[in-house]
Amino acid sequence: MADTMGGFSDSEDESQELMTPAQLIGKLEEAWLNEKFAPELLENKSEIVECVMEQLNHMEENLQRSKKGDLRATIHRMETERIRYVLSSYLRSRLQKIEKYFPHVLEKEKSRAEGEPSYLSPEEYAFAKEYYANTETFLKNVALKSMPPNLQTVDLGKSVPKPNLDSFVFLRVKERQENILVEPETDEQREYAVDFEEGSQHLIRYRTVAPLVASGAVQLI
Amino acid sequence: MFCEKAIELIRELKRAADGQLPAFNEDGIRQVFEEMKALYEQNQMDVNVAKSDGRSDLIPTIKFRHCCLLRNQRCIAAYLCVFYDRLLRIRALRWEYGSVLPTAIRFHMCAEELEWFNQYKKSLATYMRSLGGGGGLDITQDMKPPKSLYIEVRCLKDYGEFEIDDGTTILLKKNSQHFLPRWKCEQLIRQGVLEHVMS
Amino acid sequence: MDPSEVEFLAEKEMVTIIPNFSLDKVYLIGGELGPFNPGLPVDVPLWLAINLKQRQKCRIVPPEWMDVEKLEVIREQERKEDTFTPIPSPYYMELTKLLLNHASDNIPKADEIRTLVKDTWDTRIAKLRLSADSFVSQQEVHAKLDNLTLMEINTIGTFFTDSLNNLFKIRANLQPRGESTMSQEY
Repeated sequence: MADTMGGFSDSEDESQELMTPAQLIGKLEEAWLNEKFAPELLENKSEIVECVMEQLNHMEENLQRSKKGDLRATIHRMETERIRYVLSSYLRSRLQKIEKYFPHVLEKEKSRAEGEPSYLSPEEYAFAKEYYANTETFLKNVALKSMPPNLQTVDLGKSVPKPNLDSFVFLRVKERQENILVEPETDEQREYAVDFEEGSQHLIRYRTVAPLVASGAVQLI
Repeated sequence: MFCEKAIELIRELKRAADGQLPAFNEDGIRQVFEEMKALYEQNQMDVNVAKSDGRSDLIPTIKFRHCCLLRNQRCIAAYLCVFYDRLLRIRALRWEYGSVLPTAIRFHMCAEELEWFNQYKKSLATYMRSLGGGGGLDITQDMKPPKSLYIEVRCLKDYGEFEIDDGTTILLKKNSQHFLPRWKCEQLIRQGVLEHVMS
Repeated sequence: MDPSEVEFLAEKEMVTIIPNFSLDKVYLIGGELGPFNPGLPVDVPLWLAINLKQRQKCRIVPPEWMDVEKLEVIREQERKEDTFTPIPSPYYMELTKLLLNHASDNIPKADEIRTLVKDTWDTRIAKLRLSADSFVSQQEVHAKLDNLTLMEINTIGTFFTDSLNNLFKIRANLQPRGESTMSQEY
């Protein structure tokens, strides 16, 4: 049975870095944890998702051809199960947030400037739009239609709460950062600055570190 | 008293246990709407009369009804909120039960909720099919991290020979217990031949 | 995060096994393993080690730190100090649990090890609870958590973030705000 090995690149997408499969899986795990703990929907990582699925499908094909009960095959299968779990969990996290904040997620995507990274993958965007339409139709049919004229509209954007960016998160520092400004809770406290040493772990408001999560300088845990 | 019905509905929905979907109270909601409609129409009439006849003595009544209407409106807003909460519970059902809901649960849903559920599962299916450049991935599976690939099973019926690792075979006799690869057992577990023994 | 997910991450840690079978190099997506030769030590991720052990295809070599004397020193230090002792493995709890559950016959003085690790864990969690309480009551907005493991953060984490977030909501709601019609809780 042929084993996959070595590095690869996606020549169609020029933003794709040259990455080994091991690094790819590492990136998937990072994205998984970040998405799990971030209160808002993060930038989509479609290229990682697609490459991982490619790896899984390739491995699955190889496994089909392998001898039944082969030890090597069971080892590969255990690994693919683990990777598939991380991938599924990652995509589920995203879907949950898309559904939870659907008017805001769509608004953000619509008002995105040309060239700015997309938050939703094309498939997620289609899903989000359908979710919006479906939910709006439901509310209209089940309640609003029967109500007096001046009560018939509901502004979903105003009604559905936005993600709480002030929630606290735990993180590990990957790239040293200096002078992170920490805003105080009460009026008596003053704002102060902290340094993020590489490898250190912190508890802090998400809002303060949101750009660092996006850039990969910190990892949410 | 005006608004009582709306409040009662909200209480009823909030009383339901977490995650449970109580039956849809069609009568209740219709009564609230009828009350709102009656209030609104009465108000309109009085406003017109007050305007044309100069009936300023009607104004306190109009104000009172308007307050009731506003209160009802807030109740409805809260009820919409609870409707939405029901929707979230219905959404959770797709992830817990799959795309076919148990009959008992379906009876608790009104027609519009069923329609929402059908649309939702269609959207989800489309999304999942489109993953990975069209290969698709069922993300409603693999809900828990994979544990040991081997599981302890007990044989519930005589099955005969069963081939496992390295070509070796084992004999599945009723009540025998074995330590086997999970994926090989899954079908037999579903068929009722084997039973997973939790340690 | 579910504890099973923390355990899932812990299972990536490498451990040494002594296989009783032969197998050429395995090229996993995540890296190379082996080759495997009977009697020769080889490093594999914990998830594989446990599985091979279950199938009686190897013996597991306990990690260096899984030693009674070393763990006694750590326990003592943990009990003495107010701060958190650096511990030898970011997944010490999970590794101990998995190895003692599945390979206790490969681990000398397994029961003592279990007790020492549990004692250390209990001391650390108690300290963590105190720190968490003080953090919330002092209305701090930042804390440095070096030397804490993922499982410890996870154990106290939800209580922490939930109570902090709820306090924030309560404070924010004391100020006048527009009303939200939809349910806040998912």
